[in-house]
Amino acid sequence: MSNSQRDTPQHEGSRPAVLVSGLHKTVRVGFRARRLEILKGVDFEVRRGDVFGLLGPNGAGKTTSVKVILGLMRPTSGSVSIGVEGLANVGYLPENPYFYDYLSGREFLGFCANLFALDADVRRERVEGLLQDVGLVQAGDVHLRKYSKGMLQRIGIAQALVNDPELVLLDEPMTGLDPVGRVEVKRIIESLRERGKTVLFNSHILSDVHELCSRIAIMREGRVIWQGTVPEALAEAPTLEDFFMKVVQA
Amino acid sequence: MRQVRAIAVNTFKETIRDRIMAVIVVFALLMIAAGLWLGSISLGEQGRMMKDFGLVTVTAFGLIVAVFVAAGLVHKEVEKRTVYVLFSKPVSLVAFISGKFVCLCATMAVVLAGMGLFLFALVWMVDGRPSGMVLLAVLMVYVQLLAIIAVTIFFSTLGSAILASVLGICVFVAGQLSQNVLSLTRLGKNSLTEALSWVIYVIIPNFSAVDVKAGVVGEQTLAWGQIGLWTAYLLAYVVVVLALAALVFRRKEF
Repeated sequence: MSNSQRDTPQHEGSRPAVLVSGLHKTVRVGFRARRLEILKGVDFEVRRGDVFGLLGPNGAGKTTSVKVILGLMRPTSGSVSIGVEGLANVGYLPENPYFYDYLSGREFLGFCANLFALDADVRRERVEGLLQDVGLVQAGDVHLRKYSKGMLQRIGIAQALVNDPELVLLDEPMTGLDPVGRVEVKRIIESLRERGKTVLFNSHILSDVHELCSRIAIMREGRVIWQGTVPEALAEAPTLEDFFMKVVQA
Repeated sequence: MRQVRAIAVNTFKETIRDRIMAVIVVFALLMIAAGLWLGSISLGEQGRMMKDFGLVTVTAFGLIVAVFVAAGLVHKEVEKRTVYVLFSKPVSLVAFISGKFVCLCATMAVVLAGMGLFLFALVWMVDGRPSGMVLLAVLMVYVQLLAIIAVTIFFSTLGSAILASVLGICVFVAGQLSQNVLSLTRLGKNSLTEALSWVIYVIIPNFSAVDVKAGVVGEQTLAWGQIGLWTAYLLAYVVVVLALAALVFRRKEF
């Protein structure tokens, strides 16, 4: 089923969490509206309960793929199927997130929770729990314009989890984080995996991918050029970094 | 409805906490107070001058707030990519546009109430008696600005914030003049220009029909039935323009 609308398809038990088939995306850029093909037939599958890493050099089409999955962009052709019931069961952290300057972290999470049909008690509990999980309880009442990049990244992760989603899409979740922040985010992803959630994340940090992911797909120039499990990748090269370089430069 | 409220409350907090808003309102209050000085040099027409200058100032600053905030609200969400957060959640476009509009209605209500009550107090001080008509005139300015907010939101879904602001101001000015333009073209007896001015008259609301400033300062008798009808027309106009804005926004990709 095509994800051309903002609502995602209905839940079916046996379906993968995300199935992307033959996805093409062409945009028009510049004054002359020159056609630029960003995605040239992307295929990958994210199974339920997987932590799936979408890797690739800059400009490979990772972020565009995620946006098409969410319905933020419409595919030119191809299809996206999501195996959870609507966007109410999806969480998303954009790349380099920017939020509302004059809201505090607590107000922002409350606002995001308000967009879902959550009871006031559940909402309050969820917001406080997430502030605790991302280590921002102390900064909860500070306006977001005073947050550091790492703090914004953490509040971004918190807003992605405010609806307790089945499927979590994280676009470069480790960017801008110090080592402590990275450990905290990794801990959150691990806890999501333990709770049976499906996580798809884009990253350039291959050590994190190695540590967290069960399956990976590598993209280059708008196509998936390799996908499989991390052990399969490590069977072909001593480290994930070596394997990535080998595949991307092939 | 819950989403509309959430978006409206969130945007209202954002807007009202912005220091620029406070600066504009303080400057507007100073300008209104300057009416006292103008009145003092107007040879016995101090009360009238105060009302006239005060209502023009309220309209001008109300227009500035309406146009610049409305132009920025939708555009900023796209520019700063906060739409990713909103539209990756089950938020409808109608809820988004409606929430933004409701926020601006509330913001304008606060801003105009502040300026209107200040003017009301100054007129009372100068005339020695309260003038409810001043508050009524401010209310009618509010009705006009609701239409301008809707129009500016519509333009902001099409292009940049600056373009939307400029077009919003143009519509306001054209709306003040559309009745006169129609009357003038009728005098010319050219069917083409008359038809053209009719089209403009229908597309751009006739703001002068709900402008009661002249009545407040005693230059004109107010026809309340007609004012009521034009107010209903303006509110219907708001609904149509917002629906168009949602349709245009639906075509966007982020």
